[in-house]
Amino acid sequence: MSKLGWKRVRMCACAVTVAGALGSGAAQAVPSYARQTGLACEACHTAFPELTPYGRRFKLNGYTIDNLPQVSGISPNKQETLLLNQLAPLSFMFQTSYTRTKSAMPDSTLPGELAKNGQVLFPQQASLFYAGRIAPNLGAFVQMTYDGTSGTFGWDNTDIRYARSINENLLLGLSLNNNPTVQDPWNSTPAWQTPFDQRSSVAPSPGAVTMLDGGLVDAGVAGLSMYGYLYNSVYAEFGGYHSAPAAAQLDSTSTNVVNNLAPYWRIAYEHQWGRHSWEIGAYGVVAKIHPGGGIALSGPTNKYEDWALDSQYQYIGDDHIVSVSTTYIDEKQTLDSTYGAGASTNASDRLKTFRIGTSYLYQRKYGAALGYFRTTGSSDALLYPSGAPVVGFANGSPNSNGWTGELDWLPYQNLKLALQYTGYSKFNGASSNYDGNGRNASDNDTSYLLFWFNY
Amino acid sequence: MKWFFALAAAAVLATGASGVPAQPSEQSATELATGVCSACHGPKGQSISSVFPNLAGQQANYIVLQLDAFRSHERGDPNARAYMWGMASQLSDAAIKGLADYYAAQKPAPGEVGDKTVMVEGAKIYDEGIAAQGVPACASCHGKDAQGNGAFPRLGGQHADYLVAQLQGFQTGTRVNAPIMTAVVRTMSPEQIRAAAAYAASK
Repeated sequence: MSKLGWKRVRMCACAVTVAGALGSGAAQAVPSYARQTGLACEACHTAFPELTPYGRRFKLNGYTIDNLPQVSGISPNKQETLLLNQLAPLSFMFQTSYTRTKSAMPDSTLPGELAKNGQVLFPQQASLFYAGRIAPNLGAFVQMTYDGTSGTFGWDNTDIRYARSINENLLLGLSLNNNPTVQDPWNSTPAWQTPFDQRSSVAPSPGAVTMLDGGLVDAGVAGLSMYGYLYNSVYAEFGGYHSAPAAAQLDSTSTNVVNNLAPYWRIAYEHQWGRHSWEIGAYGVVAKIHPGGGIALSGPTNKYEDWALDSQYQYIGDDHIVSVSTTYIDEKQTLDSTYGAGASTNASDRLKTFRIGTSYLYQRKYGAALGYFRTTGSSDALLYPSGAPVVGFANGSPNSNGWTGELDWLPYQNLKLALQYTGYSKFNGASSNYDGNGRNASDNDTSYLLFWFNY
Repeated sequence: MKWFFALAAAAVLATGASGVPAQPSEQSATELATGVCSACHGPKGQSISSVFPNLAGQQANYIVLQLDAFRSHERGDPNARAYMWGMASQLSDAAIKGLADYYAAQKPAPGEVGDKTVMVEGAKIYDEGIAAQGVPACASCHGKDAQGNGAFPRLGGQHADYLVAQLQGFQTGTRVNAPIMTAVVRTMSPEQIRAAAAYAASK
């Protein structure tokens, strides 16, 4: 998920602009892993970025499995001092896209005028990765991304891991990362949730999101977590996230600053049988946040308590692959700071998101996917304000729902062409005139064509 | 939460302090099997998915021959290419021997008996062959109990689907590193392949 650009509406209630339509998208498939391991992409992915059971194991192992000639060094007492791949584990990703909404967007400055509908982004996103082993037991997934919407080059998903097999049944590891769930091995959690890990970065999307679903990553965080994987089936992780925005110092000019550490937890159970696997799990975060933005970073905070359930099923046959992934996130918001400053109607709010998606892949070349999404929550006229075209909430409700369908063609394992359609039944609280400026939810229905390759 | 970072740092130091092997080629077979091979072939060589063969109790000679064939790209069926060409590429002869001995010493997976009709048909092919089609008895090389012998692999306790995929590979020519098997399966029907595989796997 690109972290560039938009700060979510809920977190900074004042920053509601048409130009701020959110960017979303993920990339986890990197050919440098294939070069390092000598394994074809299909060993770790059904279709990138969704991981197979082996891909999950590779990730939990710290991206370190390696089959390349090495540059090595040893000390006089035969201790290893260096073990470097002769080839640097670098990869490149390029995405270009075409987006068309059912109705054109309003012009960003001229009242009553419309923007051109049908936007080409070339590129939508272009990324450089360092993805592979750094030293024995230590590996990384580091992504730097040029974002075609903002026109800037910035730091993106990062997951640096240390992992060790204690014996054949227990694996322990540490992950240093900048996005809660980016370290997760299943594709049912937000950072890599498939099948719709890619969406248009220029089309409008619902304004209210939970902390786990992108709120924290947009605030800029760094986290460290410890995990254990037992008997190839029981997974437990515990860690904490600290504010880490690109700033000289954290003060009143910063926005959405995490107070101390936000604890993050995750448990999951996976059962594999034959060519099937099924995972069920739960995860959560508790974040106390100073809204900042002109307010001193002291005094009351807003407390966000998120807990979530997720599940993923996969059947990986030689010709047919079927996946289903789902998550439900429930967020309790205690808005001591925002409410105290008169910027929310309620002292506490709820926000819930549910998503489910299923995909089918034939011979790893032709795919189809269908999914449903829904966000509901407390109405709060100040937190979800009316007035702004496209991104406004006319009735103060964060509720949105709709469905997404997609067709995919992967002529090669590292190349994907996707045609996606998203239809909204409700957007930012209503079906018709949801923004108070006459725009209907269905006006945001989006056709999206994406060409994506990794090398 | 400060204790958390202290604990995490201690964990890094503790696990790091256990040391790393001097050179990858000197990694013990157990370490390789546990840290790398087990991701697909399962702990102690008993895998879950039929994509990946059980290695527990496999003939050491057979494992050496296959790893060598992956390394030299002589064995090139789809999964061999996708997984094993890379995995075997940097293995030394000594590491291959070590892995072969490790897996040969593990307890084989128990065979699973399937549909009775299929078992009867499979037993006939396995024990007697199909004279009319020129198919010799499997038992003549793989042993009456499908335990294998040297270069002839153990089939007992293997995933039946894996055996079917190999027989199909010999038949279609995607797997060409066993000329004897290419000749053996030439005339077998898909049903005969499935029956023979199911019976052998059940041993």
